[in-house]
Order: sequence, then structure tokens, then C-alpha cells
Amino acid sequence: MSAATPADLRVTLGELTLKNPVLTASGTFGYGLEYDDFFDTAELGGICTKGLSLLPRAGNPPDRICETASGMLNAIGLANVGVEAFCTDKLPTLRKRGVTVVANIFATTVEDFAALAVRVSAEPGVAALELNVSCPNVDKGGLLFGCDPAAAARVTAAVRAVTTLPIWVKMSPEAGDLKGVGLACQEAGADALTAINTIRGLSIDVRTKSARLANRTGGLSGPALKPLALRMVWELARAVRIPIIGIGGIATAEDAIEFLLAGATAVQVGTASFADPTASKRVLDGLAAYCAAEGIAARDLIGTLRA
Amino acid sequence: MPRSDLLSLAPRAPRRLWTAPLQHREAIGSAYHVLTFATPEPIAALPGQFAMIRSATWGSDPLLPRPMSLLTAGERPSILIKVVGRGTRRMANASSGEVFELLAPLGRPWTDFDAERAPVAAGARRAILVAGGVGVAPLLFLARELAARDPSRKPLALYGSRSIADLPLDAELASAAELRIATEDGSRGTRGRVTVILEEALREHAAEGRPVKVYTCGPEAMMAAVATLCESLDVPCEVSLETPMACGYGVCLGCPVPRSSSGFLYACTEGPCIDAAAIDWKGSPR
Repeated sequence: MSAATPADLRVTLGELTLKNPVLTASGTFGYGLEYDDFFDTAELGGICTKGLSLLPRAGNPPDRICETASGMLNAIGLANVGVEAFCTDKLPTLRKRGVTVVANIFATTVEDFAALAVRVSAEPGVAALELNVSCPNVDKGGLLFGCDPAAAARVTAAVRAVTTLPIWVKMSPEAGDLKGVGLACQEAGADALTAINTIRGLSIDVRTKSARLANRTGGLSGPALKPLALRMVWELARAVRIPIIGIGGIATAEDAIEFLLAGATAVQVGTASFADPTASKRVLDGLAAYCAAEGIAARDLIGTLRA
Repeated sequence: MPRSDLLSLAPRAPRRLWTAPLQHREAIGSAYHVLTFATPEPIAALPGQFAMIRSATWGSDPLLPRPMSLLTAGERPSILIKVVGRGTRRMANASSGEVFELLAPLGRPWTDFDAERAPVAAGARRAILVAGGVGVAPLLFLARELAARDPSRKPLALYGSRSIADLPLDAELASAAELRIATEDGSRGTRGRVTVILEEALREHAAEGRPVKVYTCGPEAMMAAVATLCESLDVPCEVSLETPMACGYGVCLGCPVPRSSSGFLYACTEGPCIDAAAIDWKGSPR
């Protein structure tokens, strides 16, 4: 048997071309520096950093996580080192290793989103900004921006005004008008939409009659979220012109291919990295093997779901 | 921080995701089991380090691996489990040959065995191990390693539980250490909590002028009581933390423990073994 020709896995999101469509999701991959023992993260299409805020955040009190059926709830509360420490302590190493870095940023005001974008844009070696307007686990900001088309557009426009980096906006499944939010972000200058963030859930311990999380509610992630995410990617892809990055319960190459068929141009592997630090690499290798066996390029899969 | 005083310490080994069949499962009473795995290569874990473990048969449910202190390392790594939920119930029913995934070795070992940190209380001190329930696992590993390092200095092990049914591996502990037991219902050893016999032991050693160091692992309330007692008597104390966690290697941020100086530390990467003085025991909600 002769070896199949390696498939062309490159995908294009606006002006940005990624070497392949497999990224890791914000909040599930640290700062991309925790994987030295496992694999070379520069092989991935990219990594999305833990959400960065202007100042370091300690995060929520425990318990922050609990397992649910085929999924988990988390209420981490955006614990992070702060944008300054990221730029000075983490980014230089990522840059040196040739990792494609997407900086995920989070703020509670439009002005702070712009300030974060200015800070990150001052550094070389960042491929794109991902705006977290959909975090369900903080008191203000977060979800409020992501559920309202006008508010999401204000954040996007404010960031657009201060950076030339590609802007990805992370969609919330809790938006009543998801297509409206996506279109508003597109008109305000977004280059791509990441869909979806977690959706709020609740888990109760009947022995203590208390919520399992200190924050009570937490964002649901993992395979339990996949059908919902896939449907939302499919709907969004038909509504907007800009590319979609699909995310929600992806653990295998087959999961990733489903998202590409539904209309995603790239995908993010999230919760699966917890149990298996090499999950994203497995997805990438599986996708490469599938494309090679089919004799197609990865981009040939995008949006080809049959009627 | 690299240590110059003990250059003979082995460095922490790289972490790997091992695929390993269950070699043997031994039930201890109704709630406890020892699971021994056959890994393709020896796992170079140090006492106090842990593994994230799930069965390959679980598929996506239960989704997450379970953090488990290693009872032994090397060619046949083993863990002690107590049946408390869905994952441990599945583990307790596993048969030999069932394939598991082990992410190991993880976390920081007991500081005496950590080449990258200064030990809590250096120098010759008698080791007093305070165990509760499955917390005995990293302490038995420690007792055996301490005995291997210096057979002439036997640790003192204090083992506490609600009743006689909750003292797994007591015989193994007795062969590696001088063992004293306390049960709350008095079904074995001294009636009362383990802190009663700890206070007694600390006074004995103080009277003899023997410096000691306490190592503890068990239910959080027990560890908080042990840490508080040690602090009040100015005795160095090291704990092995137990919290829920999804990844075990520093990215999920699901295992915060209140830090005494403010904020949180993460049990998976800054622990599980850590100076008890680093923890705010009152700020802990569990």
C-alpha cells in the first residue's frame, strides 16, 4: 500500500490562513505552555489563551467544577494572570516556539475591551483576538454583551477601531437572537465568529440540598453540548458571510468533521483536553488521515452538509 | 527552587498518558478497593504524587478522570479507592484486563522527596503520619520510602476513622510504621478523633526532646484540625490536598484552595503535598 499524499489542511479565516483547522479552546488549554511533556503545540492550527483581563483575577471560590452526564459544569470566574503578565511572561515563549496564538480577552466595559486590544496588539506574535462576550460565570459584563446584538456590536466596533488584528467574537448560546448577534458583530467589523461558549446549568447535591458549585450555576461543556453547538453553527453559517469557528463537545476527528460539514471553517477542542492533554493532536491527526484517505483538502468539507 | 542539599533526589518524571490494563483488584471490606495496573513501562512517581485515572470503557460518561494518590509506583502502580460516586463505583466493579488511562505522575510529592522545592522543616525529625480513610495511600507510600531511606528511623503512624470498618491497609501501615489507631465509636484503638492521639504523641515527643514533623492526608475537616493543632504547638506540618479537579495538570483551574496569604493556590500543580501553613484552613468551605 502506498502512503497517501498528505492532505492540504490549510483554512482561511478572512486575512488569516491557519496551517490546519484544529485549535484549542480558551479556558481548557492554559496559556499553551503546560504541554511540554505531551506534544508540540505549534503543530496545531492555533491555541486560544485563557481569557485575559486588564488586571489579574483570582477567580471564584471552590467548588468551581462538577461532572454531569457526558459533560461538566464550570464556574472558574475567569481566573487569569492578567494581560501584562501574559505579554511579558508567556507570549515570548509561545512566539519563540512558533505557536499560533489567539488571545482571548474579557472585560466588563467597552472601554476595557478596547484597552486590552491595544495592549495585546502592541505585541508581535498574536494571530487574532477572540472577544469573550459570553462568559456565564461573572457578575457583570460577559453574557450581557453577548446576548444583545447592539451591545455585542459596540464591543466589536470599539476593538475594531484600535486594532488591525483579526477579531473573532465568541457567541453565547443564551442569546435569544443568535443570528442577530452574529450579523451585528459582522457589520461592526468582526472577522469570524466562534460558536459556541458554554450554556448555564445547575447541579444539586440532594444530600446537602445545595448546589454543587459555590457559584450555584456554571457553564455546561463537553459532549452533552455538541448537538446544540452543531445546530447553532449550522444556523449561523447560513446567516453570516464571515467564517465560523465551531466549538462544543469536540473530542474526536469525527466530531470535528461534523462541525466542518455544518459550516465551520475551523474548530476548537475544549473539555476533551482535560482527560487527554493530546486530544487536539488526536483530532488533528484523525482529520489529516480522513482527508488523505478521501483525497480532499480540509476546506473541501466546509459547509457541505447535504440537503 | 532547586535544592543543593539533597542532590541525590530524583527529578520529577515527565507526565504521560498511559494505557494500562487493570492487573488486579482487591476488595477491602465493602467500600474500599486496591486497583493495581500493568503499565507498559514503570511510572517513576515519587511518594505524594497522583494520577488522573479513568477507564477506557467509560466513553463519554463518566467524562472526567478521577484524581487518585498513588499507593505504589514503578512497574505495577496502584491506587486505593473508596466508593463515593459514579466513577469509583465503576472502578470498584472493574475486572482484571479492563483497560484504563492513567495520566501520571502528577503534582508535587512530599517535600522531602521533591528535588524542586525546599523541604518543610529540614533536618532529622521523627515523621508522624496522620491518616484518615483513603488518605492513608500517599502516607503508606511515604512510610515505605522513608523506611527504605533510613530503616533505623521508623515513622509513627496515627490512623483515625469513624469505626473499625474504615481502616483500609492498616496491616500494611503497621509493617512500615509504628501504628496507633483512634476510632470515633471506639470499635478499635482509642475512642475519639485522631487529633486526640496526635496531641498525645506530640506531647510525648516534646517531653523526650525529639523534634517531629507531621504529614497528613484525609478528610478536609481532619486535616484542618491537624494543621491547626500543629500550628498551635509550633510543629511543622505538611498536607496532601484533595479536591475535585478535571485535568490534574494546571489548566482547568477547578482545584483552588484558599491560600493563607490571600487568593488561591491550585492543588494539582502547587500541591497536592504542601506546607500546611500555606493554606487558609478557615477560608475552606468544605
